[in-house]
Amino acid sequence: MTKQNCYHCGADCEENIQVEDKFFCCEGCKMVYQLLDENGMCRYYDLSEMPGVSAKGKFASEKYNYLDSIAIQDQLIQFKLANQAHIVFYLPQIHCVSCVWLLENLHKLNPGILHSQTHFEKKEIKIVYDLQKISLKELVQLLAFVGYEPMIHLGGNEWLKKKKVNKKQLFKIGVAGFCFSNIMMLSFPDYLSTSIGDLGELRPFFVYLNLLLSIPVLLFSASGFFISAYTGLRQKWLNIDAPIALAILVTFSRSVYEIMTHTGGGYLDSMSGIVFFMLVGRWFQDKSYDSFSFDRDYTSFFPLGVTVMQEGKWVNTPLSTIEKGAHLLIRTDEMIAADAILLTDGALIDYSFVTGENAPIEVPKGSTVYAGGIQKGRSIEVEVLKTVGQSYITELWNSPLLNSTKNKEQSFVHPWSQYFTYVLFSIAFLSGLYWWLVNPSNILPAVTSVLIVACPCSLLLTVTFTYGNVLRYLGKSKLYCKNSSVLESFEKIDTIVFDKTGTLTNHEDTHLVYEGTTLTAQQEATIFAITNESLHPLSQLIAQYYAYKKLAAIKIDHIENFIGKGTRAISNGESIWIGSAKFLAENEIAIPAEAAGVLIAFNQLYLGCFSVNHVYRKGIQPMVTELKESGYEIHLLSGDHPTEKNNLVQILGATTPMLFEQKPNDKLAYIQHLQSQGHCVMMVGDGLNDAGALKKSDLGIAVTDQTHLFTPASDAILEGSQIANLHQFIAYAKKGKLIIVIIFILSIIYNLIGMYFATRAQLSPMVAAILMPLSSISIVALSALLSYLYSIRLLKKN
Amino acid sequence: MQLESFQYDNKTVRNFALATIIWGVVGMTVGLWVALQLVFPTVLNLQPYFNFGRLRPLHTNAVIFAFVGNGIFMGVYYSLQRLLKTRMYSDTLSKIHFWGWQLIIVAAAITLPLGLTTSKEYAELEWPIDIAITIIWVVFGWNMFATIIKRRERHLYVAIWFYIATFVTVAVLHLVNSFELPISFFKSYSWYAGVQDALVQWWYGHNAVAFFLTTPYLGLMYYFMPKAANRPVFSYKLSIIHFWALIFLYIWAGPHHLLYTALPNWAQSIGIVFSFMLIFPSWGGMINGLLTLRGAWDRVREDVILKFMVVAVTAYGMSTFEGPMLSLKSINAVAHFTDWIIAHVHVGGLGWNGMLTFGILYWLIPRMYKTELYSKKLANIHFWLATLGILFYAIPMYWAGFQQAEMWKQFTESGQLKYQFLETVTYMAPFYAMRALGGVLYLSGAIIAMVNIFKTIGQGNLVENEAAEAPALEKTYTKHAGEHWHRWIERKPTPLLILSLVVILIGGMVEIIPTFLVKSNVPTIASVKPYTPLELQGRDIYVREGCYTCHSQMIRPFRSETERYGEYSKAGEFVYDHPFQWGSKRTGPDLAREGAGNLKKSNTWHFNHLEEPSAISTGSVMPSYAFLIENDLDTASTPVKINAMRTLGVPYDASFAAKANADLMAQAKEITASLKKDGIEVPANKEIIAVIAYLQRLGTDINKK
Amino acid sequence: MSVLILLIIISVFVAGGFLLAFLWSVKSGQMDDDYTPSVRMLFDDEVKSDK
Repeated sequence: MTKQNCYHCGADCEENIQVEDKFFCCEGCKMVYQLLDENGMCRYYDLSEMPGVSAKGKFASEKYNYLDSIAIQDQLIQFKLANQAHIVFYLPQIHCVSCVWLLENLHKLNPGILHSQTHFEKKEIKIVYDLQKISLKELVQLLAFVGYEPMIHLGGNEWLKKKKVNKKQLFKIGVAGFCFSNIMMLSFPDYLSTSIGDLGELRPFFVYLNLLLSIPVLLFSASGFFISAYTGLRQKWLNIDAPIALAILVTFSRSVYEIMTHTGGGYLDSMSGIVFFMLVGRWFQDKSYDSFSFDRDYTSFFPLGVTVMQEGKWVNTPLSTIEKGAHLLIRTDEMIAADAILLTDGALIDYSFVTGENAPIEVPKGSTVYAGGIQKGRSIEVEVLKTVGQSYITELWNSPLLNSTKNKEQSFVHPWSQYFTYVLFSIAFLSGLYWWLVNPSNILPAVTSVLIVACPCSLLLTVTFTYGNVLRYLGKSKLYCKNSSVLESFEKIDTIVFDKTGTLTNHEDTHLVYEGTTLTAQQEATIFAITNESLHPLSQLIAQYYAYKKLAAIKIDHIENFIGKGTRAISNGESIWIGSAKFLAENEIAIPAEAAGVLIAFNQLYLGCFSVNHVYRKGIQPMVTELKESGYEIHLLSGDHPTEKNNLVQILGATTPMLFEQKPNDKLAYIQHLQSQGHCVMMVGDGLNDAGALKKSDLGIAVTDQTHLFTPASDAILEGSQIANLHQFIAYAKKGKLIIVIIFILSIIYNLIGMYFATRAQLSPMVAAILMPLSSISIVALSALLSYLYSIRLLKKN
Repeated sequence: MQLESFQYDNKTVRNFALATIIWGVVGMTVGLWVALQLVFPTVLNLQPYFNFGRLRPLHTNAVIFAFVGNGIFMGVYYSLQRLLKTRMYSDTLSKIHFWGWQLIIVAAAITLPLGLTTSKEYAELEWPIDIAITIIWVVFGWNMFATIIKRRERHLYVAIWFYIATFVTVAVLHLVNSFELPISFFKSYSWYAGVQDALVQWWYGHNAVAFFLTTPYLGLMYYFMPKAANRPVFSYKLSIIHFWALIFLYIWAGPHHLLYTALPNWAQSIGIVFSFMLIFPSWGGMINGLLTLRGAWDRVREDVILKFMVVAVTAYGMSTFEGPMLSLKSINAVAHFTDWIIAHVHVGGLGWNGMLTFGILYWLIPRMYKTELYSKKLANIHFWLATLGILFYAIPMYWAGFQQAEMWKQFTESGQLKYQFLETVTYMAPFYAMRALGGVLYLSGAIIAMVNIFKTIGQGNLVENEAAEAPALEKTYTKHAGEHWHRWIERKPTPLLILSLVVILIGGMVEIIPTFLVKSNVPTIASVKPYTPLELQGRDIYVREGCYTCHSQMIRPFRSETERYGEYSKAGEFVYDHPFQWGSKRTGPDLAREGAGNLKKSNTWHFNHLEEPSAISTGSVMPSYAFLIENDLDTASTPVKINAMRTLGVPYDASFAAKANADLMAQAKEITASLKKDGIEVPANKEIIAVIAYLQRLGTDINKK
Repeated sequence: MSVLILLIIISVFVAGGFLLAFLWSVKSGQMDDDYTPSVRMLFDDEVKSDK
């Protein structure tokens, strides 16, 4: 049969699952298709090709039992009205037109769903459903079934609510825009009338209407500048808004004066214009990535509910309610929510997310398991030692090291604007002095026009638009920054610390490596036969490792499993040991120190060991060398065993400091240590084990393979596939300042021209009205152009 | 609140669609006719009813309000229902709207050839029809806003915003510009005079283009183009910005139609600046439209509907680029009054409105009739005919426009004008012929489209009420109380808009009353006196015959014009002109000073020329007005007209109305006497006498000592 | 040119009306989602066909 792609999700079809002429990669996909087909919803497949999300990985129905708990429901449901409930879910899988169509037609699948509306960019869905007709659990199961499994986590819905568009900002822009366009229209007559007679009776009408229109601009649209200027001054320092606010105020009052004394039309058009442009600039800069959250704490990673033993039966309760000593049930692929003692056997726990260790480790009954670990084996029971809050991993957040907030000093814009202001004041003073000597009647006009012309609004425009552009281009190449101040942090970085697992390596794809004396076909066959017997995940991995070779079938005479240790088998006279180092040691087999993972011994003789490895991402090595050449210090912090050291030396170079078996606290401490040496540190990591470090570092970049996956608190989120371009990103981000400098020089020129007129007390409204849009627009255009040019030069498209 | 079933009203949409195609063909036929009249003036000018001067307004009104108008309503009624997931508010209103609008069109088709006109371009219809338009427009708005209220989709798609803008603005423009004083059921005088009238008229004239031919069609583009291409618009964000930017700029572009006229400089300049800024939002819209098809160009090659739309959007881009350019003084100085402008508007009309309309029709009809388009082949033929038609139309007209302007402006070494005006007219003949050919191509395309669509209708059957279902609008809830006012607005978008409209009108009215009672500050010229009764009657005939369609009365301050026509026009000369007769096109020469200086001609000349123009000036394309010799002048209306003028502030003294006709007769007698000398016997009570009187009066006042 | 007063007043009122409309649209969340609507308008809400 020719290679087929799944009609639903587009994955290759190994097995031959077929409905009519359509092929499917798995039962899951087929079932979804059939469901949609029954409900006449196949438009889903017309809107875009193979739109589905793979339904692989059979989903456990009891997984959502906890949603039956009222307490949990109340946490999730936003609003209840009679028997209607409004709820918002985060559905990271939303990716195409079909998704939107399917999700907004859910009511066709289940009449209990009354209304559903998606927000594509936020990847959210708002559902109104009938509590009588469908339960929250059924709702979530339906979503998960059709391939859109909601992300539900402890306090997970809190950040959904946080994300709101800044309406006030838009209001101000709207008002400013309206007043600006009308004032401009009404001001033309003044500039263009050859003689006043041209206007006659109309003139006062125009002028007063202008005045009327400018008031909302001053009081409403520009209010932000006054407030921030005031607060700045309260804290005894001059931020950029201070001179701007001053300029606006002066412009307005002088205009009022001119109008009242019938000496001129004032500069109201320039004033409202510049306010409008600056507001647009600020709005443009606040580029927010709706579907990400940059400030999640551990609560986002923990399940919302757990199964706990009460009066002899399992019940679902919110995680927050469990106490020390509670008796929990942890199913396959569930997360251990709190440090606890293992009550049953068969615990095989993957800590990679917590500690960065590679292989899942087997934990014997009675030992302690830590929060954040994920059970890979069958269901286990545990007794809680510490509540979630005090658990080992979560304590990170209470660590005093983190309480000291990042020492983010103010943007360089402000000091600049300060000098700017001083210069400006002195010019104003000097011209005032000059006119006092020459012609006192010109003092006021001269001084005021200096203050009007030389407001650093062009600087503000430059900064906001440039950063806005840079943020967008970085976002296009999959580096999503929290805000523009992050860009400034790139400037200061001199040290870059990498995590290994999940950062340099790829979580998604792992492979098994064998290290040691090469095995004979006979031996391999034997190992295959033994491991094939066992259901232990590691054994399974090893079995698969050999499966592709057509090995001769070997008869196993005797096999014996030691839970949490390994397996001993006898096959044609040989006794074979497969298991942990500890297991072999106990049986007096000499093993080398570096041996880790699953060890193999034939007849008391150690041969070698299998270890699970995550694959290294491509292009790491050139990236690192690039960074070193541009003078960055590289460090590696791995939670894993040093088994990988040799590989890492090849990639990162021998000189790079590498630390292994680092606990989250160690990483955090290390970052702080570097900082105390006066380094400015960028931390590149993923997962909870790096969370502390990311937060502590001056610039924390969280790496993730699906941007929708929960990432720990960080300043920026980087898509794993792009990590090889990190050096490009840094280079580009740093260009931002250069661009600003270039443009700022230009705007200075404009200011000088303005000054020329101003100091000579000749600043006519006409000149102001020409300078204002001219400078603003050319600044915006140039900023866009430069950031674009640099982006093609520095960011290679891939 | 649960899944609700409802039905879309396709019948109204179908009706408007049929009206669109039928009126379209009619309007274009008339267009072709007037085009051919310029080629075969003597043959095709069937006096009096089908003279160029009466048919040209019929053509413009037909294509704008009948073809494009119905096209708008077709698109709005179809898309509005689906965007809001609800049926139109009231079938009755829809019916009234449809039939009312067709009635208005019929009324226009009857009254314009009868010479019942206000002579304000695109607002020629007389006051009873103006009122009818107002009523039907309100019905449309009522129906639309009520539908918006009962919508099942909270978000108002950008197209709807364009529709709303269209409704509000057109309402305001229509009311302000149609402010007239009726003197009989068929005749009224504009409240405004001269420069003021001109300014209001072109404020309307431009915005009619803006808000009747552009904004609604942008709305349609934003709905039907994504639909036809089955892909979302390139950037929805951009489309929103597009809308708000356009709204705030358009309203003030009007005065660019009056550059170099007697309008105050600064008013002209405002027009220039705003017109120029318009290029940004307009091109934003065009780019947004074209990029919607990015990655689908292969489909454009097959899909004729997309082809139509692409050409439409491109034409939009071209004319919105040309517009701002034309509003630059230097270019305008050349282009104004020439056939260049005719080319410009037809690129917009045939290209943007025409092609988009046909694209929508081809998409819409098969859908509503649950069938395939009868013949893709025919549609393709139509596409090529239309595209070629536009080229054959535009290129000769552009060429002609340049030549015309060139010849008007050229001087000989000795400082004499190089060409007589008549030479420039005869020069145009071949271009007019080619233009007519372009018209033939486009029209035949439209006829093929009509056939194709009727065939399609024949083979399918209409789903009059298309069943649909959607969940009811979920109730909004606000967690925190307070903020009452905007909670109110939140629930009532419509009252808000209606309210604002009402406020506008009240504001307007409040302004109007004093404005027209106070003496305007147009610099008056002592020597400028009101028209005599005979001249006034003559002027009304001049208006009736639509002379303004070919003759301007506005000499611009260029040597080439002052040499040809005499001293340039002053604002003060028009203070008694209700309505103004500046015109916008010079197929014939300017008449502002026809009665003065070197242009002054004898009564006899005028008599003969009006009787048979080509006999006097060979090659003239002017139709014969021999019937003026037959028609008796309606002197009964004279007193009424005088009084009306007095109401409008023309300083006749109170008793004048009574003796007006006596005065009229006296003046008429003088003219007949002078004609008699040249052996022309004609009674004094014939219309031609009045017309001659008026022509002889033109431009004389200013030289009076 | 007293008529200009009229025209300007009207223009300003019209623009003002649209400003209010703009404020309303922001307030009522019309601007909250500036992508999905462009996708949503592509769907026809045809009746659920039970086959």
